[in-house]
Amino acid sequence: MLWLVATPTRAAHEPLQLFVTQPYLELHTGPGRGYPVAQVVGRGEAVDVLFRRTDWFKVRTERGIEGWASARELTQTSLADGSSFKVSLGDLAGFTSHRWESGIYAGAYAGATLVAGYSALSLTDNLKIEVGASQFLGNLSNGYIVEAGLAHVFIPEWRVSPLVSIGTGYEHISPKVLLVQAVDRDDQVAYAGVGARLYLTRRFFFRGEYRQYVVFTRTNANEVNEEWRLGFGFFY
Amino acid sequence: METRIRILLLSTVLLACSGCATMHWPWHRQKAQQSPPPVEVTTQGDQNTAPPSVVEPQVERRSISVPRIKAKNLEIGGYYGELSIQDFGAQPVAGARLDYHITEDFFFEGTYGRAKAGKTSFEELSGNVQLLSDAERRFTYYNLSLGYNLFPGEVFIGHSLAMSSALYMIGGIGEVTFAGDENFAVNFGAGFRVLPTDWLALHIDVQDIVFRSNDIGFSQLKNNLQATIGATVFFW
Repeated sequence: MLWLVATPTRAAHEPLQLFVTQPYLELHTGPGRGYPVAQVVGRGEAVDVLFRRTDWFKVRTERGIEGWASARELTQTSLADGSSFKVSLGDLAGFTSHRWESGIYAGAYAGATLVAGYSALSLTDNLKIEVGASQFLGNLSNGYIVEAGLAHVFIPEWRVSPLVSIGTGYEHISPKVLLVQAVDRDDQVAYAGVGARLYLTRRFFFRGEYRQYVVFTRTNANEVNEEWRLGFGFFY
Repeated sequence: METRIRILLLSTVLLACSGCATMHWPWHRQKAQQSPPPVEVTTQGDQNTAPPSVVEPQVERRSISVPRIKAKNLEIGGYYGELSIQDFGAQPVAGARLDYHITEDFFFEGTYGRAKAGKTSFEELSGNVQLLSDAERRFTYYNLSLGYNLFPGEVFIGHSLAMSSALYMIGGIGEVTFAGDENFAVNFGAGFRVLPTDWLALHIDVQDIVFRSNDIGFSQLKNNLQATIGATVFFW
């Protein structure tokens, strides 16, 4: 009640102000659990949130002292309207429901070694738009693929959640010089895959996938290539 | 014909995926919202006296706009140092790096570097013999790595300046283009990061970039040690 009256209206561009509701809020000297606690902010006092780094927030007290507060402790503070401050933490709930994820893979594409990366935007907890790029390095040819597609995650709240994916893209192949009549090729590709993701800890998960690529070549027969990929991803 | 069938099948899977996303699966059923337990008001005085009347506040809660908290998890910058290309001498290397801090412990790093190989001892001694052309001597690489802040801490300069720092280990996968061939590469190493301000970081890194190469006629594992200094800025 008191702080409802006492707090002046704040403009949107000003830093977020939070009020300590627990007995005290610890401020560390750095953004990590090992950094020593240099200050504490008492119940009822306010802090301005300056910026965030991973799960730590740089805050400034009313006395102008700056320090780092953990996201977990800040969830026990309240906003000026009395509602509790909410922040996404890296946990199983975040694994189930998040907006963005990215990851890197190693694997094999048509017998060649594969290096790949991807990013995904969640439309729902189940459905994601994915864009990716991969490079394959083989004994006979090298190349890369850029692709975009959809992934559907079944039961995203499970620690191990299966998924299927589908998409299309573009493949560039450079055969190695030891081949006779070797010419570079650019072809459209389409893929369909099945896989699973496994929640590890914090913001991390493993992801493995098997895909079949159809390369729409200029010859009569299309190529079908198999791909295995295994890697880790993180959500944010 | 084959192409059409595949496109048809892929389209069917795409529609199935989208449909699945909109369905209400039984395991998605939200837990019934439990109503909060009724608050019991007890008085410490005589049980026969009437309970004190609760004053209903007349002040309406204001709805406040919560400003977006800036996240500074991404650092971008460059590095410069010395790369010892196996059999081709140590040469200057320059590169760009992008780091994303996922948690206080782990970060993702993407790097791209370039160097130009010198001459082998054989070339130096034999006079006019050139094993590689000028273009083939260009050594370019990229790495996708995961880093772990092994020893986070602080660096003290004098008695009034403390800067957060970390000794980290890093390892990943990538590609090396050298001697006219692209090779799958593995990189690992360690580095030290110190932050003079919240937005600036200085780095010292030592890494080994390993790949298998056939450039001198037989398959050989190449170790390329690299020592660099760099600077990055936290921007997003």
